[in-house]
Amino acid sequence: MKKILAVLTAATLILTAAGCAGQDKTKKIGISQFGEHASLDNCREGFLQGLQDAGLKENEDYTVSYQNAGFDTAIATQIAQNFSANNVDLMCAIATPSATAAYAAAEDKDIPVIFTAITDPVEAKLDSGNVTGTSDKLPVEAQLELIRTMQPDAETIGILYTTSEPNSVSAIAEYEQKAPDYGFTIEALGVTSQSEVTLALDSLIAKDVDCFSNLTDNNVVGVLSSVLEKTNEANIPVYGSEVEQVKIGCVAAAGIDYFKLGQQTGQMAAKILKGEAKASDMDYETISEYSIYINSDSAAELGIDVPAAIADKAIEAADA
Amino acid sequence: MNNLLDLLISTLTQGLVYALLSYGVYITYKILDFPDLTVDGSFPLGAAVTAVMMTSGFNAWLTLPASLLAGALAGLITGIIHVRFKVRDLLAGIITMTALFSINLQIAGSNLIVDRNTATIFTSPVVEKILGSTSLITRKLVVSLIIVLLAKVVLDLYFKTKSGLLLRAVGDNSVLVTSLAKDKGTVKIIGLVISNALVALSGSIVCHEQRAFSSTMGTGQVVFGLATVIIGATLFQKFDIIKGTTAALIGSIAYKAVMQLAISLGLPANLLKLITAVLFLAILIFGNYQKKNAGRIIQKGSSHA
Repeated sequence: MKKILAVLTAATLILTAAGCAGQDKTKKIGISQFGEHASLDNCREGFLQGLQDAGLKENEDYTVSYQNAGFDTAIATQIAQNFSANNVDLMCAIATPSATAAYAAAEDKDIPVIFTAITDPVEAKLDSGNVTGTSDKLPVEAQLELIRTMQPDAETIGILYTTSEPNSVSAIAEYEQKAPDYGFTIEALGVTSQSEVTLALDSLIAKDVDCFSNLTDNNVVGVLSSVLEKTNEANIPVYGSEVEQVKIGCVAAAGIDYFKLGQQTGQMAAKILKGEAKASDMDYETISEYSIYINSDSAAELGIDVPAAIADKAIEAADA
Repeated sequence: MNNLLDLLISTLTQGLVYALLSYGVYITYKILDFPDLTVDGSFPLGAAVTAVMMTSGFNAWLTLPASLLAGALAGLITGIIHVRFKVRDLLAGIITMTALFSINLQIAGSNLIVDRNTATIFTSPVVEKILGSTSLITRKLVVSLIIVLLAKVVLDLYFKTKSGLLLRAVGDNSVLVTSLAKDKGTVKIIGLVISNALVALSGSIVCHEQRAFSSTMGTGQVVFGLATVIIGATLFQKFDIIKGTTAALIGSIAYKAVMQLAISLGLPANLLKLITAVLFLAILIFGNYQKKNAGRIIQKGSSHA
């Protein structure tokens, strides 16, 4: 046991010594990402781009330490504590569990935390204090309008979501509230785990929904390919909520670009690092722009004629 | 060197907070020989109860007995399903765990965050008065250390009582318990109640520490608990005097230290779990090697691991 302790201590000492060797002026940024998945990765890459857009240079003005928790909250906690112990100048947290963990670990030293990919910062209690960032709230009305234009006769929209994901729950509430304005009824079905998605999907297909709208629900997005396989067989179009989903086969989406969201976050972070602003004084930002993405291949397969009004402004996401 | 100290304090605190869960798993797995999966549900249960009470303005300290009680109830249910309805041990735990997932969401509504203005057990006036101007991480360490040691002492004392001895007898030699004209079912239920009460307490303290409840925070906690108990037992198999609770406590700290080491080394994020698995394997092999070196014969025969 003593040997193990000695090895552990020695290893940590070396690490810390290496950490101390950096120059004083270089700011340390710790990026804590909840897990690897296309949208979150886009956020991170956008964030790094945003820092450079603001004129900061990596290794000169700042260094980045990147960690991801593999979707494990306990690891997210330890990552945040590691950043705090190493006295980073700023923590960037991608997705809610990482942000909560970062904010808790930063409490003591009052390290500024900047988050991204959080739908409802108010609900997550991240709207005040030395913390700010960007929200990835879905443009629900734009999506409803898109579906209405693509399918003028559609009546019901099926939505699958996970009951334990707050982002999804609040999106469902908004869908149900706004759907009647566009002449839709919503058939939402909640699941508690990824393995239930297929069962729930069968049940919604059996209810003859006219189309599906997909959220940024982690569980559902994780098995989206197999969902699309089934819906294609049943000839029901699925609308996505961001570009990555359209790439893998959703017909279309009114969605935000996570790279841009990250970029916006990076620019906010640059202001904090330069000392131009304090996280505690900055309101969180929502991306106001959204884009229409379309996958012509999927549309053709389902026999949907894309109206000119949409084809003109949409970005093609199908593989060239 | 402050960095290192901070990191050690934080890691030690994590190990301590989760050690309560390890105590719980120690009771079911090591003592009762009962693989209890209720843990994945009773851990977030403690956090859910805590988060709801905190956000509705209850005193932070009241959440601890409330979580203990909630966890005890969860253990009671698993116990009754297993003992009275004769459902197999694994399945009984699975049933309660599955039900708790929904129940936790019912209790907390959804994922719940406790804002910074609400006093937790670490920032409560009492603690501030006693520990004064120490840093928050130090306070977290001191408070969790006190709770964990208190729980350990109470447990160790309990194991020496008649009820505690019966508990240990059920796992080792259940025929003996029956021959003493005691109902081994009741003893098992008591063990499950105590175990899950401790697990929920652990969840409660994690909630204080993180200011958050998330419905998925229980996923994989059983595996964590089993790993810590086995690591603890392996590290200390040479020392007969070391109590099981101490071994579980050290196991928990070792686990969190290994995780933190993997993070600190800047290992590729996606390989984190694989590397952790390799490190644990190394610890276990090291332990077995030590045992062989000492030329000891395993006397207990069928070891649980």
